[in-house]
Parts: sequence; structure tokens; C-alpha cells
Amino acid sequence: MSTLIFALKTPPAQRIDCSSLTPDLLADKSIADIAAIELVTGNSTAPVDSLFDISGDNTADITFANSTDKLDFVGRNMTTGKITIEGNVGAYLGLFLEGGQIEVTGNTGIYTACEMKSGQIKINGNAGEFVGGARPGYKNGMTGGTVIVTGDTGARTGDHMRRGMILIEGNAGDYCAARMISGTIAVLGNVGSHLGYGMKRGTVLLNQAPVQGIPANFNDCGPHTLAFLALLFKSFTKLDSQFAKTQSFSRVQRYAGDLGGIGMGEILVKI
Amino acid sequence: MIINGVTIDETFAEAFPMKGTRLIITALNAKWAMISAQAFTGFATSVIACGCEAGIERELNSSETPDGRPGVSVLIFAMGGKGLAKQVETRAGQCVLTSPTSALFSGLESDTEMALGQNLRFFGDGFQISKMIDGKRYWRIPVMDGEFLTQEKTGVQASVGGGNFLVLAESQEQALTACEAAIVEMRKIPNVIMPFPGGVVRSGSKVGSKYKALMASSNDAFCPTLKGQTKSDLSPEIESVMEIVIDGLTKEDIDKAMRVGIQAVCDLGAENGIRRISAGNYGGKLGPFHFHLQEIMA
Repeated sequence: MSTLIFALKTPPAQRIDCSSLTPDLLADKSIADIAAIELVTGNSTAPVDSLFDISGDNTADITFANSTDKLDFVGRNMTTGKITIEGNVGAYLGLFLEGGQIEVTGNTGIYTACEMKSGQIKINGNAGEFVGGARPGYKNGMTGGTVIVTGDTGARTGDHMRRGMILIEGNAGDYCAARMISGTIAVLGNVGSHLGYGMKRGTVLLNQAPVQGIPANFNDCGPHTLAFLALLFKSFTKLDSQFAKTQSFSRVQRYAGDLGGIGMGEILVKI
Repeated sequence: MIINGVTIDETFAEAFPMKGTRLIITALNAKWAMISAQAFTGFATSVIACGCEAGIERELNSSETPDGRPGVSVLIFAMGGKGLAKQVETRAGQCVLTSPTSALFSGLESDTEMALGQNLRFFGDGFQISKMIDGKRYWRIPVMDGEFLTQEKTGVQASVGGGNFLVLAESQEQALTACEAAIVEMRKIPNVIMPFPGGVVRSGSKVGSKYKALMASSNDAFCPTLKGQTKSDLSPEIESVMEIVIDGLTKEDIDKAMRVGIQAVCDLGAENGIRRISAGNYGGKLGPFHFHLQEIMA
């Protein structure tokens, strides 16, 4: 069996809802059945084969080729298998993801890994706003799994994040970890302003002190050697990420906040 | 069967089912990991009065522990899962949580799990922090020397307790020397502990007592001072008997430990005053696991 490839024929004028094209939903379907699936695009629908050239037959291993940022909801509710996206991808990549792997060679749009539950998403580029966040009006963001971003993330990374890990090899935007409930965000680069705004619990691990300083609503708890960091770095070694190559450290400056709220979150800065 | 002049009795040790787990205690250095482990496994020689049987399995170097620090692996066994959970919790709370620089991890993967740090976390008074790492939950509990890190749960598995053999010698010194030699070899076997002091017990027991309140009493058949007073199992030249009790995660582990232990004793042989190897055999009243000495040494 070979990888099932959906190669976009032409850059679409309208956004395309790709939530029907997951390993779960395509399992046991013939290529003819898959070709006939109607995808929502703009204010109408179109069959898959009118938008994509289809090749291959392994529904557990799907590739979107020639992808653009108009492809939304890729990997929605996926529980198993692998999706590879060659190029950029649109909003809500991995929405409600429960398992399996998604890898993107380009950039992702807004709400990547939104309310993700498990599995892994790797973005070999930049991610948009609200990585690992909750849908508008909802109060729990991602509750498990791992997101790796080799580039930068947009504003409000980990907004309402409940559990899981977001690893950012580049820089994180403004309001990183805002309203974070729990979980771990690690950043090798810099972070924007208003880090941890409204943060309740959880950990932001920084490889370097933020250029704009630690927000005023976090209190300095002093330098510490924290044993759990050794375990955390050991878990990174299994990942295909710069984090796997990063020198492990357990000596950090600990800041607690957001003290405007319950103040149980923490920013750990390598020292 | 006679090995190097030592008679191996045609008898068997009786052992019973237990529940067991392995824990890994780490610390800033090997010294403090061992101190914590010794505290955790203290007063845990026999379920008869201790509620559990526990011992140090071996020292672990930094590369073998979850947090990359020196550690010690301990095994703890109890008659049931609830009893084991209670013992683990109280001992972890009083002996490991309190021990400077310590951390506590599960050393046993199993489908059946029980609480390890799950309830200890409340010591953190709301400041405790949960971390899910590689699918396992850990608790970071703030303490005065920093943070106490503990895994939330540990695996539990059906185990075997009470494997044993008796060393019958011409003198106390010779019996003790032989037992020490056996313990050195037996400690090289994984998945077992010898829970008594130094691995050796001089007060082997029989089931029951003339006193109704006691469930066990001195094994008078092997007490040398009672040779003329009771139905003794000792010949005139035997002046001292010592026992080695073994608990293990599986019957096969105990088989291996008994084999190397008995062999070490036999290596000293009759010329060093070792006359017989026997075993605690209570006619099937005690447990379903039977370790036949001659089969083990065949």
C-alpha cells in the first residue's frame, strides 16, 4: 500500500473544509468513494476529485500535496494514522485531535491544535494565533498531546490550555500562556509581551529570559534546581525536535503568577 | 541429596501469594538515597506484625533512574492490595517525603496500579503541581529543601512471599558465616528481597501457638536447646539453625535466589560445619507455592 495523496489541483479561491479526509473517516472506503466525498468549500460543496488529484491507497497515511492556507480543519477528530501536509495549511489544524500524527512542512493558520486531546502535531514552520487554545467561547484548550513548532507561534499560544505540551523552537507571540489552566509550554527563543496574562496554573519553560522582562504580575520565587526538569528533558529526547538536542538543565529562576488571579502558574527561566 | 558433605533434605519451602511493587528512591547522592531507602524498608521484616515485608533490591546508578540521580530500588510486599497501598503511602510519607533531596518513582509497570504520590500531594497544601510527562503523572510537592518529586501511581503485581531455606550448622558462627555468604550471592538476583535483618532470621516460626492470641510461634522442632524437650528435627551435632526468607515478584525469581543461596552455603560445606539444608514446611497449611529443595538444586 502506498501513501494516499491528495494533491491540490489549483490554489482554491475559497476555503475548503478538509475534516472529512482523516484516516478514521476514510478507512474501508474505496478510492471511488473517497473521490465522491463532498467537501464544503465557500458556500457550496465540491467532490474531492474536483479539488484534488488522488493517488495511493493507504488511508492510514495521508498526504496533502501543494497545500495552501485555504485548507481548514485538516485532521479534525483524528484518532489514529498519519497526515502529512506539504506546504501551508489553514485554520483549526488538528481540531479535537485524539491520536496519530500530523506533520506540516509549512506554516499553519489560526487555532492549530485547538482543543487537541492526544497525539502529536509537528509544524516545520510558523504557527498562527491560539496554538493549543480553545474555540471562541469555550474555556478548555488542548487537554493532551504534544505540539512542536520549529518556527514561531502567533499571539495567545496556549490560551486556555488545560494539559499537554507545546514546544516552540523559535519565538512565541504576545500573550503566550494567557489564561492557561495547566500543561507545559517551552520556548527556545524569545516570548512577546504579556506573558502568562491571567495564567492560572501550568509551566512556561524558557531557554532565555524574555527580552521584555518578566511581567509585573509574576513574583520572583528565586533560583532553584527542579528535579522534574530532568524527566521533562528526557521525554524530549524521543522527539524529532531541536528540544531533543537541547542541553538538559534543571537550574532555573522561578516566577509565580499571574498574581492578579490564583497565581499558581510558573515561568521557569534557565539560569 | 548431598552437596559437598551437606545434606539437602527431601522437603520443600512453603510460600504464599502476596501483592508487591518496586519503588525507586533517588536523592542528591547515593548516601542519601540509601538512607531514605533504609528508612522506607525499616520495620518490614514480616507481615506477621509489620504489615508488610520490604527490602532493598539494589543500588542504582544515575543512568538507571528516572531523574538521572543516584538511587535505590526497593521491593515491598503485603498480603493484599489495600494493605500494600496503605503501607506504601505511610512509609513514603514518613520516610521518603521527609528525607532530604529525595524523589520517589514507580519501578514496576503493570496494568494494575495503586497510589504512590497520589495522596501525598495534599501535603503541598494547594501549592502542589501536577506534571504529565510521557503519559505518567508526577507531583511536585513544595518542601523546605526545594521540591519533592513523586510519581502519582505505581504498578502492583501478584507476587510470592515466604520462600525460605534453613541452614543447619554445628555452631552459631558457622551458621551465620554461611548465611552471610548466601546473602551476598542472593542479592545479585533481581526481583527478590530477603526482608529480615541482614537477610537472615534466627527465630523461624511455625504456624500457631499454644497461646490463642498468637498466630505464629517459635519453630521448636528446629530450636537446638529443645532437642531433648520436644519433637526435634535436629541431630545431636546441630547446634544452630538460621533461616533465609525470600520474597519475590515471581516464583521463578525465588527459585533462582534459593539456588544460588543454597549453593553458596554448600560451597562452604561440611568442613566448615554446615550439615544440612532444610526448609520451612508446614504440611501445606501456609501457602500454595512449594519450593522443593532437591528439585531446585538438581
